[in-house]
Amino acid sequence: MSATDPTSPASMHSGTGPALAERVPLVSVEGLRVHFTSKRGVVHAVDGVTLDIGDGETVALVGETGSGKSVTAKSLLRLIPRPPGVIAGGKALFRSKMPCPGCRGAGCVDCGQTGRVGEPCTACAGAGCGVCGQSGRSTVDLLTIPEDELRDIRGNRIAMIFQDPGKALNPALTIRAQIAEVFAEHRSDELVSEAGLDDESGRLLRRAVRNRGRFFERRLGSLPPLRSQRRRVDAVLDGRIVEALADTRIPNPVKIMRSYPHELSGGMKQRVMIAQALACDPDLLIADEPTTALDVTIQARILDLIGELQARRGTSVLYISHDLSLVRGIADRAAVMYAGMLAEVGPAEQIFADPLHPYTRGLLAAIPTPGMGRGRLAAIEGTVPELIDPPPACRFHTRCPHAATACARTDPPLAIRQPPDHRAACLLYDDAAEVGERPEDMPDRSAAS
Amino acid sequence: MTALGVTSTAGPSSQVADYVISVRGVRKHFPIKEGVLQRVTGHVRAVDDVSFDVPRGKTVGLVGESGCGKSTLGRVISGLTDATEGGVYFRLSHAAKDRLDELLAIPEAERSAAEGRELAEIDRAHRIDALGKDRWREYRRNCQVVFQDAFASLNPRHLVKDIIGRPLRIHHEASGTQLTERIVDLLESVGLGSQHLYRFPHQFSGGQRQRISIARAVALDPEFIVLDEPTSALDVSVQAQILNLLHDLQEQRGLTYLFISHDLNVVEHMSDRIIVMYLGQIAETGPSEQIFAAARHPYTEALLEANPAVEGGARAVTRLKGSVPDPARPPQGCRFHTRCPVVTSQCGWEVDDAVTEAELRDSGLDGLSGVSRQSAFSADLTFETEAQAAAFVAQLQAQETPEPLAAALTELRQTGTDVSVRFQPVVPVRLERVGPDQLSACLLHTGQQPAAEAVAR
Repeated sequence: MSATDPTSPASMHSGTGPALAERVPLVSVEGLRVHFTSKRGVVHAVDGVTLDIGDGETVALVGETGSGKSVTAKSLLRLIPRPPGVIAGGKALFRSKMPCPGCRGAGCVDCGQTGRVGEPCTACAGAGCGVCGQSGRSTVDLLTIPEDELRDIRGNRIAMIFQDPGKALNPALTIRAQIAEVFAEHRSDELVSEAGLDDESGRLLRRAVRNRGRFFERRLGSLPPLRSQRRRVDAVLDGRIVEALADTRIPNPVKIMRSYPHELSGGMKQRVMIAQALACDPDLLIADEPTTALDVTIQARILDLIGELQARRGTSVLYISHDLSLVRGIADRAAVMYAGMLAEVGPAEQIFADPLHPYTRGLLAAIPTPGMGRGRLAAIEGTVPELIDPPPACRFHTRCPHAATACARTDPPLAIRQPPDHRAACLLYDDAAEVGERPEDMPDRSAAS
Repeated sequence: MTALGVTSTAGPSSQVADYVISVRGVRKHFPIKEGVLQRVTGHVRAVDDVSFDVPRGKTVGLVGESGCGKSTLGRVISGLTDATEGGVYFRLSHAAKDRLDELLAIPEAERSAAEGRELAEIDRAHRIDALGKDRWREYRRNCQVVFQDAFASLNPRHLVKDIIGRPLRIHHEASGTQLTERIVDLLESVGLGSQHLYRFPHQFSGGQRQRISIARAVALDPEFIVLDEPTSALDVSVQAQILNLLHDLQEQRGLTYLFISHDLNVVEHMSDRIIVMYLGQIAETGPSEQIFAAARHPYTEALLEANPAVEGGARAVTRLKGSVPDPARPPQGCRFHTRCPVVTSQCGWEVDDAVTEAELRDSGLDGLSGVSRQSAFSADLTFETEAQAAAFVAQLQAQETPEPLAAALTELRQTGTDVSVRFQPVVPVRLERVGPDQLSACLLHTGQQPAAEAVAR
């Protein structure tokens, strides 16, 4: 499959500007493939996605229903149900960060005021070796590491906000309990030491805090000597939760903490979700259509909030959305997905100003804009093709206005079409000889520009 | 009998009515029931005194945030639920509409017997909840609805043929092979074909299902279709197909649409006139271009600013604070004043606002034990301790309290554990003309002086 084209990582990471160009990306997804087995065959939901997310960068993954954008994001955290899902190939390299040694997380010149720097590779101490792919950064492949290591990353280094806050929050637990879970899972050591408890009694408490205690341990924890210590830990925990909620500009966090999800409005619930996701200062925030269920006025404020928190903490964001007009305002880079593959990747501004792939052009033209004659929206005819055992062809050729004979039998590579890194997977921009086609079968370039 | 009487007896059968639908003072209140006895403890005012006209052959767009009552209004108009108050009139001529407005302007008690009879006459001929059986039937076939969720609105156990053929059968339009032919025609007019006749809804994609819904809606050749968020469950490329289809059908069949949506881009594209609703009332209404080019109401402005656009530069942004208030207790004065960026002290501040304001602070409302409320603008709050009462007063006098709220406070006095809070009474803001054909309900543009009026009373 040529579109997967696992280009060497060195040539891939070029961010928004020259400043980011020499940096190592936080996440490099290389040739990710996720399949689902069904009665009718194997559904190639994600079929060779190669994407980088740089430090502090916002990458938008745009696509229609069923294009595989959510599956891509979820497979980064291995959240897809398996079976029927199968991660059929590819890598998702994650290079986590740590508090900056110079300023201990307070923010200094070295870390660009974010308080976090890349963690050096344990094998070579930053010199570059085979383990870290010559990047010198501690690197793990999210798709293959053991489940318990991934558990340490989920919610801690990589956090996710889901589409419907009404469904993602547990209706039976208070907001406090739901945010406490994050701290208990990932910050139990800090909580215990902050409460001023020594390591000895701490061990039991830590287990209790993490809800891992056995039955008799829980009973022991409710006896007087430990009970008072637990209360001290709880007080510290409350402080942390209030802080996390206050960060998302929730008024009166103490009161919100004690309420249940049904008592809050949609916008508030989404703020709670954001507070929960950002509680552990993740390096990457995956936002899966976080504002689709909200009204425009609330949406605008949630987007402001994500942007503001991101700027302050230097978090990278993978923003998944079907709404192109929204992405334009928030993303540094955009990746357009169609039928499990990337159609176009590049700086968001360039994609909107000068879209290369016919699909991106179609999507942009389909959005009603002022002054457009009524009834003359440029609809993309047809529907998304079935993804069961797809043939090697451009996935868009059945609906493409420029489709030619070659499009039905050759898979276009996702190659750079406009330097430095505006890529598009379309034969319009390929030479016949390079893809092994006859020139007369290639789509007509003059009609496209 | 006046000239009007003649037109009204011609009634719904006449094809020359200038207004397909006229809504007059419609309210829809849903009771809130509590306790074992299900006693009614309040009402959710989903739609609260809304009036507008839908001219023949035009598209009227209805926009607003979720919970503003736009879908409820659509249901009332299509006759799916009854209005609590007010009426929906079908096929009024210019003259009849003007006369109706004149008659409705007279308070019921002052109406003469002749005027009362005339009104009843209009009601019988045009008002949908007073129509006779035959006219009601005719209204039902001339007013159709396309719902948001095309999956939920198509019976999963019926074939496409049954779904689209049902209205034709109910109204005895066709049967047998003729029916099948009509159905195929309809399918073709919405871009489907005879191969889809014997399939179930689940075999179609979202866009195709919406096409089936539309085919069903136009089956009886209606005059008017309520489109309740017809594209919000669809992707942009499919949305464009459906919007184009709706436009083509309107051209071919001379349809009139009420287009309900929360997507401003779509509404702007589709509508001739736009109605912006907020909390059950109309905030602003006018021709589409005018609303988008020169919105007068701060709420419309905020909506437009929050709306992401594919083209154009970044806009100066003012974000609305807070969320939509509880429609069971809508704010006094202007309903938007709790979130308005340009709010003044005259906009309807009330005791609830003071309490909400204090609630946002950490300890503003601690120890509140009782409230005795004389009106929305005047109440005595009782706290458990004097210190807590003092804290409440201090919160309201603090810097963070919005200036207009502080200015509207006429009295904030603490006596022991009691705090009395008084505001200047204000009457609800009315929709008033702010430009040619443009109405807005905002004090800033209409020059209403409700405070002075209220004080005079």
